Amino acid sequence: MNPFWSNIFRGSSDQDSLAYFLGTVAIFSKLKRRELNFLENIVHVRNYKADEIVFEEGDIGSGMYAIRSGQVKIYTRDENGNEIEEAMLEAGDFFGEAALTASRPRIASARTTESCVLVGLFRSDLLDTVKKYPAISSRILLGLARVISDRLHQNTLMLNDLKRQVDRS
Amino acid sequence: MTEQSGLSRAQVILLYFVLTASIASGIAIFSSASTITNMFRTATDGLFLPILLSLIAAFLLDPLVQFFERERIGRTASIFIVYFLVSITILTLLMLIGPPNWKGMMQALKADFPRYFGSAVDYFNIKLSSVQTHFPFVKSYDLVDKLRSSTEELLALILAQTPKSAMRIGSLFLLVPLFSFFFLRDSRRIMRGFISLTPNRYFEMVLDIYDHVSWQLAHFIRGRILEALIIGIVVWMGLSLTDIRYAPILGIIAGVTNLVPYIGPIVGMIPGLVIALVDLGMGGQFWWILCVYLLIAQIILDNFILIPILISRVSNLHPLLVILAIIMGGKIYGVLGMIIGVPIASIINIIIIEIRQYHTTYAPHSQIVSQRDMYD
Repeated sequence: MNPFWSNIFRGSSDQDSLAYFLGTVAIFSKLKRRELNFLENIVHVRNYKADEIVFEEGDIGSGMYAIRSGQVKIYTRDENGNEIEEAMLEAGDFFGEAALTASRPRIASARTTESCVLVGLFRSDLLDTVKKYPAISSRILLGLARVISDRLHQNTLMLNDLKRQVDRS
Repeated sequence: MTEQSGLSRAQVILLYFVLTASIASGIAIFSSASTITNMFRTATDGLFLPILLSLIAAFLLDPLVQFFERERIGRTASIFIVYFLVSITILTLLMLIGPPNWKGMMQALKADFPRYFGSAVDYFNIKLSSVQTHFPFVKSYDLVDKLRSSTEELLALILAQTPKSAMRIGSLFLLVPLFSFFFLRDSRRIMRGFISLTPNRYFEMVLDIYDHVSWQLAHFIRGRILEALIIGIVVWMGLSLTDIRYAPILGIIAGVTNLVPYIGPIVGMIPGLVIALVDLGMGGQFWWILCVYLLIAQIILDNFILIPILISRVSNLHPLLVILAIIMGGKIYGVLGMIIGVPIASIINIIIIEIRQYHTTYAPHSQIVSQRDMYD
């Protein structure tokens, strides 16, 4: 549609809202609308330019990011300092969720490849929510536990496969 | 002017003009800067105390507001509920005990003050002369006259300020609840706005450090205020058991001066002891009053009970820093500055310690989290 004629004064539709976007992220997919509206107030929306570092391996992590728009490259470095690409994440993906529960050094680096809007949820805000609104935070933590246990499950399966291969050889 | 000088006539004139212009503009900038700071000072003159008091009120009321928020009441509504409850408590307390006769007490104190001071000076004179018989070289020091003149100045200042301060107290009653309402409601949003200004690369670090520091600060400020309050009430109660006059005022003095470590309690005890000596003499009541000040309030209550419970060891300041903070605070804001200088120095100290801790340890949070769970 020609933007000159389309009704730009209609106001943002529901699908454009931050709460709607958060509902599409796997961790928060089981949250109700009211809880998503609350979550909207404790996340931080950050704008990144292309090729900007989000965090680097070894930084003290304090939270997770969900990609609202753009593309983020997750990578590690080998002994010579060359980047090894681990994943390319698109809008709707999230990363860094392991740092939400305890502050540990990051195990990989993240860098934007194009200009991005990232939505960050950080541990200090989550701890605040745990104290003030136990019901909402338990849902968030449950989603987090589900995602992490899925990852663990996958890793265990892969590890078993590898073990079998080693035993065979 | 010849060629040997290296500068032509035009260049010299140019140099002269440039130098003059730079000096003139320097003076202009300096004077305008000082008028701007003067304007800033007059604009913020009366605001310091109300803002300080409302920040303190906000820190004290915040846990109550959070308590109501947990019951799924909106923040603004919670603040109104807390305000309502607090005002009802104060009103019932006033109804039950009856308002202490502050005005009469102040006027009586104004009349009595020269008498107390005169006796203190006489006592001091006797001591000084006895010292002088032992150490003759002390004679040249005219301390008493100096003290007398400075104290008379102070008294004149208090007398002149009283009508003004009555106005001020009236405006405090209006401003403090208003300011603390907005501090309570919007402080989170304001701080989030400030934090969001940090560059992406340092955002996580700043957010983490802010979280630690704000938690420690809230804990510290709440602890200090509660400590001062309890000490003030205990001293008031203890003194009320004797025949001493002005027990409420002395309790307030003891509580407020207790905010300054090491030196504060000693200064806070002097007026009580002087009044006790002059009015009651060196009897059993004097020793009881000394006992209230020293043994009960300071040693037993403050050192063994309040400080370990309320104030974490993080905020301990070196005595040298305490003295520096008192002197610098006094230079900036007078007596008020002396009292709040040390807490502000402690706040800066806490911030520095937290930042350093963040940099040295990988898991600064594990400790903080356990502390949090303990206290909240």
